[in-house]
Amino acid sequence: MNGPFTNTLTVWQALFLRETLDRFFGSRAAWAWLLIEPAMHIGFIGTVWGMMRKNSMGGIDVSMWIILGMLSFFLFRRTSVQTLHARDCNNAFFAFRQVRPFDVALARASVEAFSMFFVFVFILGAAAMMGLNVVPDNILQVLLALLGLWMFGLGYGLITSVCMRLVPDSGHIFQILMMPLYLISGVIMPLTFIPMPYREWLLWNPLVHGLELVRLGFFSNYHTLDVSFSYLFSWVLGSLALGMALYRGLETRLVMQ
Amino acid sequence: MIIVRDVHKRYTTRRGVGDWVLRGVNMVIPTGRSVGLVGSNGAGKSTLLRIIGGADYPTRGRVERHCRVSWPMANGGLEGTLTGRQNAKFVCRIHGFQHELPERIKRIEDFAELGKAFDEPIQTYSSGMRSRLQFALSLAFDFDVYISDEVTAAGDAAFRNKAKKAFDDLSHKASIIMVAHNDATLKAFCESGIFLKNGKATWFDKLDDALQAYKDSI
Repeated sequence: MNGPFTNTLTVWQALFLRETLDRFFGSRAAWAWLLIEPAMHIGFIGTVWGMMRKNSMGGIDVSMWIILGMLSFFLFRRTSVQTLHARDCNNAFFAFRQVRPFDVALARASVEAFSMFFVFVFILGAAAMMGLNVVPDNILQVLLALLGLWMFGLGYGLITSVCMRLVPDSGHIFQILMMPLYLISGVIMPLTFIPMPYREWLLWNPLVHGLELVRLGFFSNYHTLDVSFSYLFSWVLGSLALGMALYRGLETRLVMQ
Repeated sequence: MIIVRDVHKRYTTRRGVGDWVLRGVNMVIPTGRSVGLVGSNGAGKSTLLRIIGGADYPTRGRVERHCRVSWPMANGGLEGTLTGRQNAKFVCRIHGFQHELPERIKRIEDFAELGKAFDEPIQTYSSGMRSRLQFALSLAFDFDVYISDEVTAAGDAAFRNKAKKAFDDLSHKASIIMVAHNDATLKAFCESGIFLKNGKATWFDKLDDALQAYKDSI
């Protein structure tokens, strides 16, 4: 009825609406939990550092340090987990030939970016009301770092969802993996606390680069390790290329019963 | 025209690769001719329909669709947690009718006659209610070939008559490929038949011959 391009676009729109509805209003207070979960983590970690009388981290306020790291990490984690389960949650729609597995993954990841935008606005707004400095020094750097984390989440989600389709038990491994990733990505404890040579090893983790770049974008005087956009985006490109190639090559396997 | 070329199909489960369900099905289904698939349970009727409709893929071989073919009307295509109305909106949108949603939804709602249940989640529906919605959904769009897996048969008598009548109105421009376990339903809708046995398909110009071949095989 339409060209292939408009067809794909209408499918993306429809999937985006369907997923947004589910994410925000799927259960009675679904939208509230989207906000409460990161807020609880921030409150808890903030209390722990407060009890240890730590006021600043790398030269910036410890609360902002936690907020930025936590929200950035949640952006990655939620995007990857939602993408991981995109296929299973939309299985019924593959009855329509125009709905492809990648469309579903992309729509879900986009909904996550959309919902995390509100979470950022709310939590940073609350932080501003408590008198914290929430105006970024370099907003473009912040947006670029967040884009990198989101795209890496999508790429990671694409790859893991193919793995889970081929070997269903691998889903447990990805779930378990998220816990150490949370601990070693500089969300709750700065990497500068870790002695050499282990600190160098942890810098292999692209999430560290993403998180530190977000903090640097907010506070240009923040002292951190040697992090770079090129390292983060090499992972982004690598994971997206591999994930999309797998989706292209195994498209029928992803849809088949 | 739908061309099915040497289609083989077997399913892979966690217990490994299963037996061949379809072993080399070849056929050309002309546009404008309604066809019924007959065969015993597990002969591969639904599998073949799903492959023709593009909801599943053959393990070997391919299907060419040279006309507008509907999605296979069966239990697929409806998301259980969404309401009938939400599903209908989704289906309208992905077919490119986001600008005329109210009219299309109205048509679907009227045809399906689900009453208040239209705004209830699909997972609360009975199989008859699902069929009504499925049938109403696919009739809301213009296809050359409609694919129906038991959908027309699952509704009650009143709905079957309504479906038949709606389909008769379309018959000058559309045809149907269907599976039904009820001879009367098949005879009401179809002219020709395909008989499936041991993974092979045989075409019969007259449905009665296909039904006869099926009865002889039991």
